[in-house]
Amino acid sequence: MDLLRIALHLLLIRPMLRLLFGVNVVGRENLDGLNRFILAANHNSHLDIFLLYSALPPGKIARTHPVAARDYFSNPPWLFKTVQFLMQPVWIDREESGIAAIKEIQRRLDDGRSIIIFPEGTRGAAGELQEFRGGIGLVAGHNPDVPVVPVYIEGPERAFPKSAPFPLPLWNHITIGPPQLLHGNSREISSRLHDNLEALAEEERAYRQRRMPEPHKPFVVTVIGIDGSGKSTLSRHLAGCFEGDSCFIGDNLELFKDGAPCDAQPLVANEVRKWVGRQAKSAKNLAHYKIPKLAELLLLRDRLLSDVHRWYRPGQVFMDGSPLLNMIAWAILYHEEAFNEKVCATAMDILTGKHACGKRDPTFKQFPELLTLRKLNLTHLHLPDAVIFLDVDPAICMERITSRGETVQAHENIEKLTKLRKAYQLVCDVLQKTLPVYRLTGDETVEQITDEAAAFLKSIGSATDETD
Amino acid sequence: MLDTCPSMFSVVALAVMAIFQAVALLSKGRIETPPSFRSLWVFFLAITLAEWVSFSLALWLLALLSFCALREYLSLVDIRLEDRWGILVSYLSIPFMFYLIHIEWYGFFIIAIPVYAFLLVPFFVALGGRSKGIVFSVGVLDFGLFFFVFCVGHIGYLLFYSARITLLMIIAVTISGWIHKVLGNRSLGVKLPLQLASVFPLCISLASWAAIPIGHSAALAILIPVSVCLGRFTLKELEQDLGIRADRLQPGRGRTIEGLKSYLYTAPIVFHYLRWFLKWGDL
Repeated sequence: MDLLRIALHLLLIRPMLRLLFGVNVVGRENLDGLNRFILAANHNSHLDIFLLYSALPPGKIARTHPVAARDYFSNPPWLFKTVQFLMQPVWIDREESGIAAIKEIQRRLDDGRSIIIFPEGTRGAAGELQEFRGGIGLVAGHNPDVPVVPVYIEGPERAFPKSAPFPLPLWNHITIGPPQLLHGNSREISSRLHDNLEALAEEERAYRQRRMPEPHKPFVVTVIGIDGSGKSTLSRHLAGCFEGDSCFIGDNLELFKDGAPCDAQPLVANEVRKWVGRQAKSAKNLAHYKIPKLAELLLLRDRLLSDVHRWYRPGQVFMDGSPLLNMIAWAILYHEEAFNEKVCATAMDILTGKHACGKRDPTFKQFPELLTLRKLNLTHLHLPDAVIFLDVDPAICMERITSRGETVQAHENIEKLTKLRKAYQLVCDVLQKTLPVYRLTGDETVEQITDEAAAFLKSIGSATDETD
Repeated sequence: MLDTCPSMFSVVALAVMAIFQAVALLSKGRIETPPSFRSLWVFFLAITLAEWVSFSLALWLLALLSFCALREYLSLVDIRLEDRWGILVSYLSIPFMFYLIHIEWYGFFIIAIPVYAFLLVPFFVALGGRSKGIVFSVGVLDFGLFFFVFCVGHIGYLLFYSARITLLMIIAVTISGWIHKVLGNRSLGVKLPLQLASVFPLCISLASWAAIPIGHSAALAILIPVSVCLGRFTLKELEQDLGIRADRLQPGRGRTIEGLKSYLYTAPIVFHYLRWFLKWGDL
């Protein structure tokens, strides 16, 4: 039986894998002279196990057994029988506890046989090493005299990935690392093996050709709030308390490197924007305010943001108000009666260029401006990555505005600001469904608020890092 | 002997290579066979088979070489998961292409890759359904198809017309490529004259044997070294991007491509030159 098994492996499986996929084994000499061993390999594809067998010396084929999950191979029955005959695996029932399997592994090791384990437990994401399960540590910890051989398989994650319907002929490289005797508790053994495999993986990855790198995309944080709520102060402070290059876009543009302000090359878009901003601020009434403000928001701020990406390449951008959100809030101010959450969400979709609704949508009837914008192809605004809302009482804001000593703008009175505050609250309610939104009250000092906001941003920053 | 059949010569060449290979095997890594040995094996074996056994067998041997080169190339480039259908179609174009040579349908052979494959592959890549990076993927697949299927296919078609000319071309390209490689970093002003000086006598002396008019033979003697220089220069840059380095060639990491380097540019150029001027087939 063993002879037939070896013959099948050597004469059928091995040549087929060679011809169809191409198998390159590096470090074959590491298995020489080992009587029994535990082979720990990464797991990406159904091909892995066959590839590992084609790297084994002929004498070891019949005396090496993989640890496999029964439910993978139980359907169809002929597959189960083939695998059972070719490899005689140690079967694991994933519903039950692994004690029986561990005992079986121990029995085979005591019998002088070798074991192949995929410590990741299951097929992981392509080309990445998953966290190891506990099994390998237990088995290796119980048998400190059996050498553990780390093996990195590169290629099956492209030749036959998890989600693919069919395999493709692409080369596979099997790197067999040096065998080692591992001592200590199971967790230590696991982490050491993980490091070993990671090192082999690094070596293999160095060969990979890479296409163009992903375009640089900073993390855009927007601070919104009514006039005089201190949003520009807060965003400037925030830009100063982050590592790496940060950029603050407010009435003027400032660059921070590791928290210290540094000189920035002037940008044309910024100069134009400042001029338009002054025009808007000196407007006598709301109607005069509308056009320059719209121009600033629609054309210049967005343009400025992309210019900043292009020339400064900051890690984070902190914006005093976002073109999109400000516009939505202002739309509420102009058409208060027709606005609700649904309309707000639709308007946002339209302005970000998602063609979410047809021309006859009632939203366009309520807001003819949106239709105009869409016709002019100006619906290319971006949503920020995070939003901080400064929810400050309008009375306090008015006090601040008058104490500033500048000319009071057309909309800066208690009645309008109260409306605007409500508008921003509505916008935040809508945003909360998709974006991280943080609401701050302006009762505390600037430092306290900044610390709170920074802590919030750091928490979501680490959260997004993990999911990537 | 040389006058009766070209396959005698290729059998001799095969024997020499076999001895060399055996020495390399026995030396346990001290002597290494050059990477072009594998493709040379295929070429000489194909010539022998075409002459003595059957042309179609020789053709499928070349198809295998083409498959190996394309597989190696696709293993080296950065492909996306969504390109799988496109890659499958690229592989399927190899038997299709060589079948066209087999049935001697020149008109379809010459447009199969540059028209139909180049139209179909982007379609199947687009079927993958992710637009990000699709331009690169289509470019990568088209390039691979063109070099490793279309250009290698030309060797097959040349073999169909004349085994002698194929043999002449293989030898001339091998010598010229070898000189190019040995001289390494020297300037082209040193390499090209040397290549010309070695290829020219060969082409002139074998002209009547290969049934090429002496004038065209002289033209070939100039064309071959020039196209070898062109091809090696271009492929060298491409190999660098693919991460192939001559000092760490491994199976699946550039051994086939490195070996085929000199032939890729020369085969189509020689084939179309001869087809046009010797008026093979209907033009």
